[in-house]
Amino acid sequence: MDSIIQDHIDPADLKKFEALYRDQTRRGKVAEKTQFDYAWCLIRSRYQEDMHKGVALLEDLLKNEKDDLAKRDYLYYIAVGHTRLKEYERALKYIDAVTRIEPGNHQARQLHQYIKKKMEKDGLVGMAIVGGAALALGGLVGLGAALLKKK
Amino acid sequence: MAAGPYNYSYIFKYIIIGDMGVGKSCLLHQFTEKKFMADCPHTIGVEFGTRIIEVTGQKIKLQIWDTAGQERFRAVTRSYYRGAAGALMVYDITRRSTYNHLSSWLTDARNLTNPNTVIFLIGNKCDLDAQRDVTYEEAKQFAEENGLMFLECSAKTGENVEDAFLDTAKKIYQNIQDGSLDLNAAESGVQHKPATPRSPISNDQPPSKEGCAC
Ligand SMILES: Nc1nc2c(ncn2[C@@H]2O[C@H](COP(=O)(O)OP(=O)(O)OP(=O)(O)O)[C@@H](O)[C@H]2O)c(=O)[nH]1
Ligand SMILES: [Mg+2]
Repeated sequence: MDSIIQDHIDPADLKKFEALYRDQTRRGKVAEKTQFDYAWCLIRSRYQEDMHKGVALLEDLLKNEKDDLAKRDYLYYIAVGHTRLKEYERALKYIDAVTRIEPGNHQARQLHQYIKKKMEKDGLVGMAIVGGAALALGGLVGLGAALLKKK
Repeated sequence: MAAGPYNYSYIFKYIIIGDMGVGKSCLLHQFTEKKFMADCPHTIGVEFGTRIIEVTGQKIKLQIWDTAGQERFRAVTRSYYRGAAGALMVYDITRRSTYNHLSSWLTDARNLTNPNTVIFLIGNKCDLDAQRDVTYEEAKQFAEENGLMFLECSAKTGENVEDAFLDTAKKIYQNIQDGSLDLNAAESGVQHKPATPRSPISNDQPPSKEGCAC
């Protein structure tokens, strides 16, 4: 799963699909396929801004989609996007939606496990940071009190 | 492990391509897990698997990208072709249309990989001989005409699955040995891992790529 989440797009590919998307936008009609290709590239970009944009484009596709297989694909990639953005809670919601369409989907299950693991790890790190901050704050207050006393 | 930081000396990148439902993911699963998935959903985008094999005493790690056959993913899965040392091109012996599309898959593979990429043609589902729609002979001929290696396999029974993956690796390794595959060339699809610890000079890999525990 790591390989899928951490994999990056070749910037040349991103540029190519971006050009196609821009071109069609200018003409006033963007094909679903163009939007999807571009969104997928954005989600695999190194930059968070791109990933957000990719998610938004997929959300847009999802709104008008009737076909379950296509919906499943969009939902899964929105989940991948949120995962890459470390928005794990949101990612899990989309994975649930995939599983509702296809209960036995192993890709969804793998992504779910991956996220749970990340959340555990980040949760511990997060607690350590908060703990550390509290200590530091305590230290400052202590120092202030000491200074006050001196006066 | 005692020999150095890696327990393998090479990494080969593979891709698996072909129409929807021909059994690409089942072949990968059979090769990596030695199990058959009876109800396998259509792949979303790509899946990934690895296995360490041995070819003439060398440990080789295969990194396998299994692409979705759905048309929707065609453009994006193409970006995974680049830098593949081996390509397994799969059709379903019980569905003629999947065989008829091979030339288009082959064109993609040829255009997007390097000239030394080993392309292996797999006629899958050979356990369903009663429903056969493509003869062994014609596929064999197609393979010969196009310089492809070829086997009929079954992801269900496991027949010939090992051979397809291993023969591809043997051929790649042979290409390295006889010098026709230049490891220093960008996108050779092969990474050499020296057994003695040395500062890794990776050229085409993104930085900070963790070991693949997929
Ligand atoms: N009898 C038989 N069935 C198989 C074999 N290989 C795969 N199948 C079945 O064929 C169906 C499709 O297999 P998949 O591996 O999902 O096909 P795929 O090529 O990965 O399809 P996409 O991901 O859509 O591109 C599944 O229901 C499998 O159970 C085989 O060797 N024999
Ligand atoms: Mg598949």
